[in-house]
Order: sequence, then structure tokens, then C-alpha cells
Amino acid sequence: MGRDLGARAISRYLVFLLFLSLFGAQTSHTQQTHPTESQVKAAYLYNFGKFVTWTGTNAGSSASFDICVLGKDPFGVVLDSTVAGGNIGEKRVTAKKISSLQESDHCRIVFISSSEQARLKAILAAAKAGGTLTVSDIPHFADKGGMIEFVPQENRIRFEVNLPATEEAGLTLSSELLKVATRVIGKTGN
Amino acid sequence: MAVGYSRSISRKLTVMNMLVSAAALLLACAAFFAYDQITFRQSLVRTLSAQAQIIGANSISALIFNDPQSATNTLSALKSFPNIASAGIITSDQRPFAQYSRDAGDEVLNIPAPPDGRLEAYWFRATHLVLVHSIVFQGKTLGFVYLRADLHELDQRLKRYAAIAFVVLLLSLLAALIVSALFRRSVAEPIVQLAEVARAVSQDNNYSVRAAPTAAQDEIALLIDAFNNMLQQIQHRDNALQAAHDELEERVEERTRELVSSNRELEAFSYSVSHDLRGPLEVMNGFSYVLLKSYANQLDSSGKECLQSIRAAARRMSELIDDLLNLSRVTTSVMHREEIDLSSYARAIMEELCRTAPERNVEFVAPMQVKAYADARLVQIVMQNLLENAWKYTSHHDRARIEFGFEDKDGRMICFVKDDGSGFDPRSTDRLFQPFNRLHTSAEFPGNGIGLATVRRIIQRHGGEVWAEGAVEKGATFHFILEPNRGT
Repeated sequence: MGRDLGARAISRYLVFLLFLSLFGAQTSHTQQTHPTESQVKAAYLYNFGKFVTWTGTNAGSSASFDICVLGKDPFGVVLDSTVAGGNIGEKRVTAKKISSLQESDHCRIVFISSSEQARLKAILAAAKAGGTLTVSDIPHFADKGGMIEFVPQENRIRFEVNLPATEEAGLTLSSELLKVATRVIGKTGN
Repeated sequence: MAVGYSRSISRKLTVMNMLVSAAALLLACAAFFAYDQITFRQSLVRTLSAQAQIIGANSISALIFNDPQSATNTLSALKSFPNIASAGIITSDQRPFAQYSRDAGDEVLNIPAPPDGRLEAYWFRATHLVLVHSIVFQGKTLGFVYLRADLHELDQRLKRYAAIAFVVLLLSLLAALIVSALFRRSVAEPIVQLAEVARAVSQDNNYSVRAAPTAAQDEIALLIDAFNNMLQQIQHRDNALQAAHDELEERVEERTRELVSSNRELEAFSYSVSHDLRGPLEVMNGFSYVLLKSYANQLDSSGKECLQSIRAAARRMSELIDDLLNLSRVTTSVMHREEIDLSSYARAIMEELCRTAPERNVEFVAPMQVKAYADARLVQIVMQNLLENAWKYTSHHDRARIEFGFEDKDGRMICFVKDDGSGFDPRSTDRLFQPFNRLHTSAEFPGNGIGLATVRRIIQRHGGEVWAEGAVEKGATFHFILEPNRGT
């Protein structure tokens, strides 16, 4: 009797192990596949927040840490799933889609879609005033006064930083972040 | 010999000193080295851990923003630490991310399993220490830094320690040599002197020497004092013994002198008595002979018989005097031992006896050679007496057997003369050898009782023994030993 129970328990455990190994193989398989460009960019957007300090802005009043996408959204659900459950400092990270910066002044980071290229100057001015970190994959974005520009390089996504632009907006970028940037505009001694 | 002793004790002291210092030093070195190894390993782990933490902290952004080049740059800072052979960063899913190798050809990737749930883990291999440290950023493990440090510095330390220990060992052995040379004066030398004195005492029996006392108040001083005391006691006793011995010897000499003089007087007396008795006897003998020859016709037969009796008595008295003179000569004559053949003596005596009475039927048995080392003249008297006795006491038997022989008992030769004659009463054995003591009447067997006394005197002068066995009508056996008993 006891022996039967033991045998049943063992067989159940073996089935469980089999299931676990199949599931494990599944997950490791998905990890092995290269993430898509938008996944990488979404992750970068999320991680930038960890290396930037916002000082003296309206951002502090907000309950959440907002990452906004301005214009035509290239991420879809990817950004939402990336930031889901994430925290920066004490604040929960949320992803927002906006059509203009005036819509929300709580954005800590704004991704400017290429669709907004025409209105870039006004957007950058507004972001600077609001102390918002501007990120975009518009070519020469950093040279045009943007703060962080995604640059494709050797099948990877890298980024360039316009340091004076961030300083004017009252943002402090960690040297760790600058270290991994492909180019830092206005870096002392560069 | 004494030199050998002295060498041995001081060498033992030196060796002991050296062994003790060497053992203490080696133990101390071993303990110190073990302690140093442990602390060195601990500090190595601490240093490596700190380096891993710094590299990990500096690689966070590189991992997050997927920039291996930046991580490689960070790792290349390890160039300034020559003990780190290789290092690397692997991502949380264990992909190699960045690597560093001190030597170009060095194998880089031997990534150990990252710590399981722990922040850090390390392994000591034969030649390397491997440390893995987790890179954690905001509660999330981004990857692992691993560092591989050479342990050849440990070997170098070991070699350095061995060299230092060897030099110190040599120096301490030298110091031990010097110290033991100093101590030899206070420890070994008094013992050596004591040994020398003891040797002098035991070899030369000289108890007047004394060991030189030492200034120290140690056991050696005690030993020397005790030894000197012992010598003094021995000397006292030796002196007392010598005095007693001398006194005894003097007394013995005195007694001997007295004895010799009284003995001489006695012998002179008995000799002169015997000699002086002979003169009147000769007169009696001569005149009785004249009486018998010249006046025989004037005497009747009874008178002649009386005269014959007087003559026989005079003859017997003359023989008695001869025997007494013989006995006295046996006692006083000088002994001269030489090798003789007892058997030939016995044969000659028996031949002579047979000639005097050829009608008797006597069987004589004797072995061919019976060698002895004794005085020839005196032994001749012994053999004469014993064989004549045997001859005499078998005269009442028709057939007789007389045997001379010897047997070996415990290395001593026991000679015997055995007959099957009338024998004697065994209860009277003690009286046999006393002078003038006769077990038979002169009518039965003629004799004066001097013979066996003479035999015993001669055997005693040789340092031997004589005894008799026998029974009435069962014959008699006389045993004698000529050699002195060396055993007792």
C-alpha cells in the first residue's frame, strides 16, 4: 500500500520533471533567438532611466516614471511588456503614447518617432524646458540638438549622446552611460 | 678507552643541542609557514574579490547596453595586476561577454560554474585561484565576473621561506655548537674526570685517589661527593681488611714456627729414642746369639726355648723400631713429584711376594699402565704396604685373588687394591688407619699396626684421600687418590 503510494509519487514527480525540462528547453530556445530591433530599443529606453538623474524639474511630482512615445509608435506592445512591473527608484515605470509634449508634462523620457521629424525643433525646445530626456532614431538627431540618438552599428543598436543638450535640460548622465556611448558630443577633452 | 668515553658524552651533548634547536626551529618554521599560507590565501581571496567587485560595478552599463568593448576596456585595467592570469565576464545566461588574458597564448575560457544563489564563490586549484563574482544591478543579476589568479607567488614564498629557514638552521646549529662547547666545560668535563678516576680505581685498585670537586651545586657535584665518600669508605675497609689479614698471617706464621719447632723436637725425640733403643737391642741380640751357639750344650731344651723366645721378641722389636723410623722419615722427608707407573710397581712387588711363597695359589690382576704424578719413593711404600696386606690377609685361603686397578670419578683417578681375603668388620673402619691399632691378633696375622698409618700419612702428604671397604671373610678394598682435590 505504502509502496504503491511511493511509486505513484515518484512517477508523478518524473512527469513533473519532464514537463519542466520541456518548458525549460522552450524558454532557453526563446532566449537564444536574437531580440528584435524594437525590443532592444525598448530595453534601452527603460535602462536609460537608471543612469540619468533629473534635477529641479516638474518630473518629481508625478507618482509614476513615464516613458512616452511621441508620434507614430514603432514599438506596439513591446515597450509595454518591457517596462511592465519595472521600477526606477521608488517609482513604477509606465509607457505612454502621446501626440504632443504638452499633453503630458510628466514624461521623464520621450521617444520621438521619425514621424515627428518636421516638428523636431519645437519638440526639443519643449522637452528642454520640461527637463525631459529626448531619445530618437532620427538620423543626426544628436547633432540637431537631441540628447540620445540610436545608431545602428554592425547589426547592433548603439547610441550617441549630446552632452550639452542634457546639461541645458538639467539632466545629469552617469559616466557609466557615457562610457558605452559610441560618440559623446561636447565631452571634455574629446 | 677513557678518551672514547669523553668523546661520546660531549658528542651526545652537542648532538642533543643541535637536534633540539633544529627540531624547535623546524616546527616554528612549519607553523609560521602554515599560518602565512592561510593568511596569504585569505588576503588573496579578499584582493581578488575586491577587484571582481570593481570590475563588476564598472561593467554594469556595458552589460545593459550590450557593449563588450567597454567591458573589455574595463578588464584590461587588470594589466597592472601581474598575478591575474585571465579574467572574463559572462552574461546571466552564461554567454561569454568580455575576456582578458595576461599572456597572449594563455587559454582564456575555462569558465567555472557561477555561484549558485551566492554573490561570490572561489576555488583553489593546483596552480590557480578562480573567483566568480555576480554582477547585480538593482536587484537583478546581469552576469558574472570571473578572475583567475596565479598561485606561483605561493611557491615563491615557499622557496623563500625554505631558503630563510635553511640559513637560520645553519646559524642556529652553529650557535648550538658554540653553546655546547661552553656547556661541555661545566657538564661533560667533570663526568669525564670522574670516569677517569673510576677507571684508575678499578684498574689499579688505588683507593687513595679522589675526583676533583666542581664549584657547581648540581647532580654531578653530588655524584662526585658520593663517589669520593664511597672511595673513602672502601679505603677504610680495605685498610682494616689488610690489617686483619696481616695480623692473621703473622699469627699463622708464628703458630707454624711453633709447630715446626715442636714437630722437629718430637721427631728428633722419636728418632733418637728409636735409634737409642736399637743399641741395647743389638747387644741383646748379639749376646743371645753367642749364648745359643757357644753354650747350647749347657742349656736344656726348655732353656733353649726361652732363649729362642727372647731372640724372637728382640727381632720383632727391631722391626718395630724400623717401622717407627720409616714412619718418621715419611713425615719429614722432602716430597718430589714425578710421573710414575703404579702398575709396574704393583707387578714388581707381587713378583717378589710370590717368590717368597711359591706354594700359594694367588691370582694377581692389574692393568698395564696406571700413570700418576707423585713421589716415587713414597708411593712405592704405599703400594708395598697395601699389597703386602692383601697378600697377608688372604694367606688363610687356598685360592686368592688380588686386584690392582683404577677408576675415573669426576676427573680424579681413584686407585684401589682389592682382595678376597678375611676382610674386616666394617664398624671398625675408623680404627684401621690409626698407628698401633690392630683388628687381628699377631697370632692370626703378624704385624705391628704401623703400615696403614704410614699409607694414610703419605696419601695425606700428597693432598689425597684413602678409605677402605670390607666385611668379615668377604675381602677388603683399599681406595686411594693421589692428586689433591682441586674442586673444593
